[in-house]
Amino acid sequence: MKNSPLPPAWIDSLVDHLAPNDLSEEIRGDLYELFTKDVQERGLSSARRRYVFNGIGFLSKTFFWRNRGPGSSIMLSGYFKMARRSLSIYKGNTAINVIGLLTGIATALVILTVIRYELSFDTFHSNADRIYRIVRVSGDDMSEYRTGISNPVPAALREEIADLANITSMQYFGSALVEVPDSTGTVIRRFREERGCAMVEPSFFEIFDFKGTRFQWISGNPKTALSEPFSVVLTKTLADKYFPNENLLGMTMRFEKKIDCKVTGVIEDFPPNTDFPFTILVSYASLHAIAGDAFNDWVSVSDDHQAYVVLAPGTTKKQMENQFARVHAEHTPKDIHESRHYLLQVLHDIHFDPRFGTYTGRTITRETLLALGLVGLFLLITGCINYINLATAQSTMRSKEIGLRKVMGSNRKNLINQFMIETFIIVLIAGIAGYGLAEILLLNLRELLNLTPNSYNLTDPFVILSLLTIILVVTILSGFYPSLVISRFNPISALKNKFNSGSAGGLSLRKILVVMQFSITQLLVVGTFIVVAQMKFFWNEDMGFNHEAILSVRLPDRDPGKRKVIADQLHAQSFVSEVSFSYTLPSGANRNRSARDIGRPEASSAKDYLIFEYQSVDPYFLNLYQIRLLAGRNLAMSDSSGNILINNSLAKNLQFKNPEDAVGNELKMGSAKVNVVGVFDDFYSNSLKQGVDNMVMAVNPRAYAVASVKLNRQKGSLSETVRQIEKIWADTYPDNVFDYQFLDENIQAFYAQEKKYAQLFQLFSLIFVVIACMGLYGLITFVVNRKGKEVAIRKVFGATIANILVLFSKEYIQLIALSFFVATPVAYYVVDSWLSNFVHHIQLHWWLFVTPAVGVLVLSLLVISAKSLRGARMNPTDMLKYE
Amino acid sequence: MSRIYLGELEELILLMVALLDKEAYGVLIKEELYKQARREITISAVHAVLHRLEEKGFVKSRMGGASAERGGRRKRLFSITAYGRSAVEELRDTRDLIWNLIAKTSPS
Repeated sequence: MKNSPLPPAWIDSLVDHLAPNDLSEEIRGDLYELFTKDVQERGLSSARRRYVFNGIGFLSKTFFWRNRGPGSSIMLSGYFKMARRSLSIYKGNTAINVIGLLTGIATALVILTVIRYELSFDTFHSNADRIYRIVRVSGDDMSEYRTGISNPVPAALREEIADLANITSMQYFGSALVEVPDSTGTVIRRFREERGCAMVEPSFFEIFDFKGTRFQWISGNPKTALSEPFSVVLTKTLADKYFPNENLLGMTMRFEKKIDCKVTGVIEDFPPNTDFPFTILVSYASLHAIAGDAFNDWVSVSDDHQAYVVLAPGTTKKQMENQFARVHAEHTPKDIHESRHYLLQVLHDIHFDPRFGTYTGRTITRETLLALGLVGLFLLITGCINYINLATAQSTMRSKEIGLRKVMGSNRKNLINQFMIETFIIVLIAGIAGYGLAEILLLNLRELLNLTPNSYNLTDPFVILSLLTIILVVTILSGFYPSLVISRFNPISALKNKFNSGSAGGLSLRKILVVMQFSITQLLVVGTFIVVAQMKFFWNEDMGFNHEAILSVRLPDRDPGKRKVIADQLHAQSFVSEVSFSYTLPSGANRNRSARDIGRPEASSAKDYLIFEYQSVDPYFLNLYQIRLLAGRNLAMSDSSGNILINNSLAKNLQFKNPEDAVGNELKMGSAKVNVVGVFDDFYSNSLKQGVDNMVMAVNPRAYAVASVKLNRQKGSLSETVRQIEKIWADTYPDNVFDYQFLDENIQAFYAQEKKYAQLFQLFSLIFVVIACMGLYGLITFVVNRKGKEVAIRKVFGATIANILVLFSKEYIQLIALSFFVATPVAYYVVDSWLSNFVHHIQLHWWLFVTPAVGVLVLSLLVISAKSLRGARMNPTDMLKYE
Repeated sequence: MSRIYLGELEELILLMVALLDKEAYGVLIKEELYKQARREITISAVHAVLHRLEEKGFVKSRMGGASAERGGRRKRLFSITAYGRSAVEELRDTRDLIWNLIAKTSPS
């Protein structure tokens, strides 16, 4: 059979698709038999032609089309026709249903895409479940979670632990000044990269093989490209940027004006869903060559120096951690290895554990993903609820139609089928439109959702399959109950229109659904209100220093002469009010930290010391940032680095009762003795999510790395000011990129993720409110229509418009009020646990819950009144004259 | 005598079904028709006629075994029903009757 010639396949599939199921087998059998005979008698091409001819012949025969199970296709098309008619009669409802469902479906698709993307991070490596990151947990109570490990650790582990399958160390720098010199050594191109620069070992690509992605080596030898010191491998994007149209292998690149590296390979860009955002991969051997001493230092750590291990199959995490502890204890003094522990974190958790963080600086907790998923689900549910409510309400209007159908011999099954098809059509329309809306939403919300253009693909089979599943499930969820209610009608009472809606099962369920819908809505609205209040708090809370109109610029070198020149030139400008040099900024997401130990003079063991943040400043720093001095004096340029200022927290933690008591005391900083000359008031060097650290300031000009420039806001436009500063800067530091940032922006960056959540939640609550109000509008429309006569009679007997408004709205106001009491405890629980992530947060006052709830209530009242007012205003005679 | 509507092609194919005796199916009928009556008709036409005959109750069908020459697909085997048999016999009798009459009235 294998070698036998094959007939044209399209005829086969044509027959299979079009023929009744019970016939296609025999037809294809006969066709095939004729074909094999034709092949022998007439040759292949003639046989194929005749096969097509014969196959097409069947399409002209009536039997071929007729016998699709008796009459079902006619019935089905009848259902569709009826559904189309009834949908076009109730246009308003159809619109409400479609809009509600399509928003729900679109949002659900978007959320699904986001969740899928977030869950896909670094899952594609071959041994992903056996890859672990070495993390550092320290402190007496094991409360400090960090990532970095000391430089000599990986090599020692590799040598001293036998059953370690593989280990790779890496150092991430992120930003880098990149220069491309020509053959004579003159720089021809200069770039400042903000992220992506890392040092990795050749074993990086053994562990992280990016299997199942499009990643591959374009040129260079994966095994050797990164083994020599000062070799660099570039991603394709950067290779094209640095060396357009050039053969770059063997070319030289210069980093930070110091280090020359040879390009030894080009790789495809890493996929977006990895927590290794590397674009410039310098060989790790270079680190040995540059900073060899660091590889004898078992104490210092940098969070960006990390190592990943692969455990041999069968080795448990615990066993390996014990081995680590053994090796660590052999190399370090007791107080280090007793307070610092190297543990393992499985690769799967890296993206989801904010305690440790990632090189991308972004993690997302699984709780957040769950919350997102719930929001998506809730949106779908509110859409379904709208549909169920409107359909059951509408069923009372359709009672005549249904009664007549039953009289004409429709059975329950027919009616259910018909109604399900109506539902299906609506959901299908909503699904298709929702798919389009999802595309638009993804396009516009990319930044909010942390997506890049190539991190999602809506034509992916998974997305299509999800969409189909959603359509199916939503159809069943929202169509089933109303179809049961409708098909249950007693034809006689339905025809007589004696149908009493008050006692119909639909109404009590409808009440429950309305309460449910508004509970979900209020939960989200209250939550959003509080999230926004917390963000406002983050903005407006006094951080203890002034951060307005301050520009910070990275100093390219440590030359005091140039520093003096630039300070003088800046001071001469009218738009500059103050200039200060320091090691780092007082606060902001983008700054350096340097931590040291300090203790009372009698301190002896590690326990007696406190960790503090060391900052080197000049005498203008306190004044520029308006940091209050509580006691003692400010530093002067003449002060040695042994004279220090401490902050109030440190004074308290060192057991000084008052700031004044601390002044003049001698302290031990590491082994050196220092004098406290002043105490400054606490300010937030961290975000308000965290508490205040201990802090010390001293004058140490060699450490100055950043200039702060306080601008005089009244003078000139901001962009013009920045341009002029840049010009002055370029005079003094001609070969450097002017790398500046406004401190305000830097501080706002603390809350970038929270801000995104706040925006997302605002968007979601808006959608929820709109859908819920639309549903309410649809419901009230029916009530107004149904109670038209009742209203007319009441008006005849003297009811005022106000009376009638109350009549209409009373029930719904009660339901919405009830939903407030359902939503509030849940909202309280959720919001409280979110706020507890932050050290500084707003108090949960009662009005934070009541204000948004009242807002929702007023809004729904408006919706209800707008519609019922029309019913109430109607002339009673118009209503009553037709009977 | 009940009225039997049987077209010329229908009658021929019904006869083929009777001739092939329970082994009749599309392709075989088509070939037999060519062999016996030099009639070349398309396979779809054979199927269409068989369907019509089955609807009228002249033949009945069952699914036969699969065979390799059909690419592993089964064939539908037709056999003539008693009603079908009586129908063709009746047709033949009618014709015979008429022929006899023709023979009598017009001597050659």
